[in-house]
Amino acid sequence: MKSVIAPIVAAVVLLAGCQRAPTRTNEIVTIPTRNVPLIPTDPAWEGAPEHLAKLLPQDLVDPRLMKASTAEVRVRSLNNGSDVAFRLEWVDPTQSDMPGPARFLDGCGIQIPRTIEPNPPDPQMGEAGRPVEISFWRADWQASVNGRKDTIREIYPNAAVDHYPFEAKPLEPGSVARKEMETRYAPSQAVGNNRVGPRESPVEEMVAEGPGTLSPVPGGKPRGAGVRTKEGWAVVIARKVPEGLAPNKRTQIAFAVWEGASQESGSRKMRTGWIPLSMRVAK
Amino acid sequence: MARVYNWQLGREMSYWYPESRPKRQFAAVFDTNKCIACQTCTLACKTTWTSGKGQEYMLWNNVESKPYGSYPLAYDVKVLEMLNSGKWTGKVYEGQTIFESAPAGERVLGWRPEQQDYAYPNCGEDDCAGQVDHGAAMMALPHMSWFFYLARICNHCTYPACLSSCPRGSIYKRPEDGIVLVDQGRCRGYQECVKGCPYKKVFFNPMAGTSEKCIACYPKIEEGIQPQCFVSCIGKIRMAGWISKQQDAKPDNPIDYLVHIKKIALPLFPQYGLEPNVYYIPPIHVPLSFSRQLFGPGADEAVKAYRNAINDPDLAALLCLFGSSEKMMPRWKRVGDDVFGMDDKGATVVKVPRNEPVIVRAAYDKLYQITRTNCP
Repeated sequence: MKSVIAPIVAAVVLLAGCQRAPTRTNEIVTIPTRNVPLIPTDPAWEGAPEHLAKLLPQDLVDPRLMKASTAEVRVRSLNNGSDVAFRLEWVDPTQSDMPGPARFLDGCGIQIPRTIEPNPPDPQMGEAGRPVEISFWRADWQASVNGRKDTIREIYPNAAVDHYPFEAKPLEPGSVARKEMETRYAPSQAVGNNRVGPRESPVEEMVAEGPGTLSPVPGGKPRGAGVRTKEGWAVVIARKVPEGLAPNKRTQIAFAVWEGASQESGSRKMRTGWIPLSMRVAK
Repeated sequence: MARVYNWQLGREMSYWYPESRPKRQFAAVFDTNKCIACQTCTLACKTTWTSGKGQEYMLWNNVESKPYGSYPLAYDVKVLEMLNSGKWTGKVYEGQTIFESAPAGERVLGWRPEQQDYAYPNCGEDDCAGQVDHGAAMMALPHMSWFFYLARICNHCTYPACLSSCPRGSIYKRPEDGIVLVDQGRCRGYQECVKGCPYKKVFFNPMAGTSEKCIACYPKIEEGIQPQCFVSCIGKIRMAGWISKQQDAKPDNPIDYLVHIKKIALPLFPQYGLEPNVYYIPPIHVPLSFSRQLFGPGADEAVKAYRNAINDPDLAALLCLFGSSEKMMPRWKRVGDDVFGMDDKGATVVKVPRNEPVIVRAAYDKLYQITRTNCP
């Protein structure tokens, strides 16, 4: 019984905003652990120090965010030598996880230079020839992973749809002919750009070489999860350990948070500059 | 911002990208005087392109009853209010465009409709301007009450605001025909284009997570066939074609003739600065002050020319070519009382008489010994 209660207590403490004052660090320090936790309520996070990253509006590249929203994000990190996970927690009183016209979505992202170098690339999405690797979590993707159905009535409960041509007879459910016709009305899905809807992970892995160049990483294995807390969101994003990062080595990391209720999307976001990321030696 | 020339403003203006005109530009002329708002065009488009999930609310083509009808709600007055349009001196616009008046941090002066703004397509369609408070309005001239129908598709602008708004470059203008498209593989659904387009002809699909818009039925255009909303128009108000630069206008190009030579077809809200490529023959029974706001300073002359079409054999003939074939007719000519629509090489696509012969059929068909009825 004790082994069951302990994680629950730890999770409650974590979701309550880590009431036991965590160790604060001036940079992101990733701590060795046996198993990288993939959910924000995992008690393993209790042992990781926290960095308080101040957020700034993205006001360098048009379109910009002209009014500050989320003030800061609290970050912890754990790694097992091959994978590293980051736990981001921030205050957001409104849950924005439903896509729609003029509706925007809560989200967060981490960014790491592909190569460790003394002068990292521009923190605004990298530079041509100097890519940055980005992992991005979004609240609606989390809702889909959590089981939200992919129907118009999930978005508009009172929606009345007379007829979708691809659901009419004689097209049989699941048939090739029906799928083909359905795809005709879903051009983005036809070309594999599944921006919303069913998915296995709420995280997307991407690469960028400057503003507007973000593109998905083929074959990426994005992992993570987000939960709603009393104050906002707690999200874990996991990825492989950055190339070259090892104990006593240092790279850089940057964070971004989007608040859907403030109509933040794309380049309209709260973000940090580069923050040093180091790996603590295993004891 | 680059400096580009916008002939509709009679001056250079600022735009996000340098001037880059396509090899040829898709364009259209809509005769508002012939539209009866049957919405056949709307349904033709809806059935063809937007019957999918998340597209329920979308109308790439819509017909709204002016002055009050609009879709999305009040899209026109919202942008006009924000722009605080400046004056025209002759044919030169002295105010600012939506690019030139972009606030700090923005690429264009944009307005974002709320979800509810899409919930009432053409709200106000039954309301005409003026009050009908003293009996029948039609008893007094000029009519104090008026309205007209404005059919709208994407304008496939020379300087698209959707394109310049997109921080990812996901919207492009095809170099071969000037059609503006959203790259569905690249769009990440930021909705900047929805906010940026003053005509509100880009729509966010909540079940695709990307923005979608009128594609000018480019698969048909590539085959030399006019778009669905054109060929289905029972009022025959539309003609699709190609527009030349103002200084290169060709009299045998129907669009050039109507826009550049006769100046009878005008852009919608030219003051926004997008150089839209759908041109409207303004309604002849509407106060000119209203038409000027919608179509610019050429409205007076356009109405005058249209009223005089009966005395202008070429113009009258060309107007008869509208809706006469589903094929594109990039060239035309009048021979006597006939007007010919032709392809690029000058081969006849269709021949239409300027005056349709009137044939009266007897009520009783002696051959078949049956009484004719008017049922179709």
